[in-house]
Amino acid sequence: MSDGIVDLFNMSKPEKKKYEDLEKALDMIGLESPNICYQCAKCTSGCEAMKLLELQPHSIMASAKDGFIDEIIQSDEIWDCVSCYKCVERCPQKMSPIDLMYIIKNWYVSSGKQLPGDYQKLLQNILSIGYIQSPLEVNDKKNKSWTRKSLGLSEIKKPVDQQKFTKIISELAMEGLK
Amino acid sequence: MKKLGLYLGCVIPTEQYAYEMSIREIMPDFGIKLVDLENVSCCGAPIRSINLVMQMYLSARNIAIFESKNIDIYAPCPQCHLSLIETMNRMKKSDKLYDKIVKKLREDEGLNYKGDLNVYHTLDLLYDEIGIKSIKNKVKKPLDWNIACHYGCHTIRYSDVERPDISENPTKMEEIIDAIGAKSNNYSEKLNCCGAPLMVTHKESALTKTGEKIKAIQDRKYDGISIVCPYGGRMMDSKQQKAAETIGEKLDMPVFYLTQLIGLAMGKEPEKLGINLNLSSKKIIS
Repeated sequence: MSDGIVDLFNMSKPEKKKYEDLEKALDMIGLESPNICYQCAKCTSGCEAMKLLELQPHSIMASAKDGFIDEIIQSDEIWDCVSCYKCVERCPQKMSPIDLMYIIKNWYVSSGKQLPGDYQKLLQNILSIGYIQSPLEVNDKKNKSWTRKSLGLSEIKKPVDQQKFTKIISELAMEGLK
Repeated sequence: MKKLGLYLGCVIPTEQYAYEMSIREIMPDFGIKLVDLENVSCCGAPIRSINLVMQMYLSARNIAIFESKNIDIYAPCPQCHLSLIETMNRMKKSDKLYDKIVKKLREDEGLNYKGDLNVYHTLDLLYDEIGIKSIKNKVKKPLDWNIACHYGCHTIRYSDVERPDISENPTKMEEIIDAIGAKSNNYSEKLNCCGAPLMVTHKESALTKTGEKIKAIQDRKYDGISIVCPYGGRMMDSKQQKAAETIGEKLDMPVFYLTQLIGLAMGKEPEKLGINLNLSSKKIIS
């Protein structure tokens, strides 16, 4: 991170504390500081969300490297990632733009902002039933409806003490990589 | 007989029943005894964006449950497979992370996490453990089809976490397809993503990606697609007609789980493999 630079679009300045938190969080999952990124843009050239949604992982890396963390938190772009992992696979510096985005999305969530898309539903279901959804009834080609039971499958295995499970997992909601 | 704990995750046991049925139908014939364990839950992968600690805790929790029975894991969902192994790797590398998660697992749930078991996926289980020769030996009705293999992103990426096949040029599925009598040639769009994780925030873009991939395969005149990922099944099979509407094209491309194709070649009853649940397979089997 370099001191003394200013983003001339909105006159914002780098955030030293958040940059250090980012480095710490990355370190905790075995990743290097964003300052090793040399902007080759291999991540963006392979990005599966680039063509449709104009996600550019290398520009997120550039903002992170300069310490403009709030700008990344506030950008809708971080929610465009399709999680294909091509950016990690192809980064010559062994950096992980996807994990950097996960960390920053985690901060967005822990700041109390409303979860985008169906995330609230996914989280709620995991907390209350242990899975992203309950077993669904499905139709076959002839429009006949089937359940696990009618297909001869046994009941889905779930957390034995659901209330305790909900409590334990909920306690992690405010935990971060620190 | 090799005993493995079947860890299905979220999507397989709640909607992609054909994958589960075909796994349970064929694996015992290859000497794999599958065991279901109580108390398991989601692996955490679907909520990485919400909280990575929660994700890793959920993965570690499931690992500890299988470790308590001293049994290796078979995770047929590539997302779960990645999340479980990645979590073990990350906890090995960071004492801070290890202490945080292990302490909570022990104190709150009485679970002893060691992080020292094998996690198999369908592809490496079939190719590396069972082997092409044993698969060939079980073939009674060779399939005379031309199949496009779709690996799914998490089956092959990222390679810092041990994956069932290599990232830029995977071939294990093609070799298995060849072993059951079918043909499978490479195609340029093979590594393209099906779009599934985008369904949470950008449904139309997700379906566009699905539609474009299937269209490319259809244009190349394949008879069908083979998959090893329940998210791939949800998008390419269950939602194929929605994907077709989204991109404004006609799509009619049969999609099968690899385990279903193997079962068919073994001469198993199609219904027992859940073939009737594949909404896209009108052309090959009625």
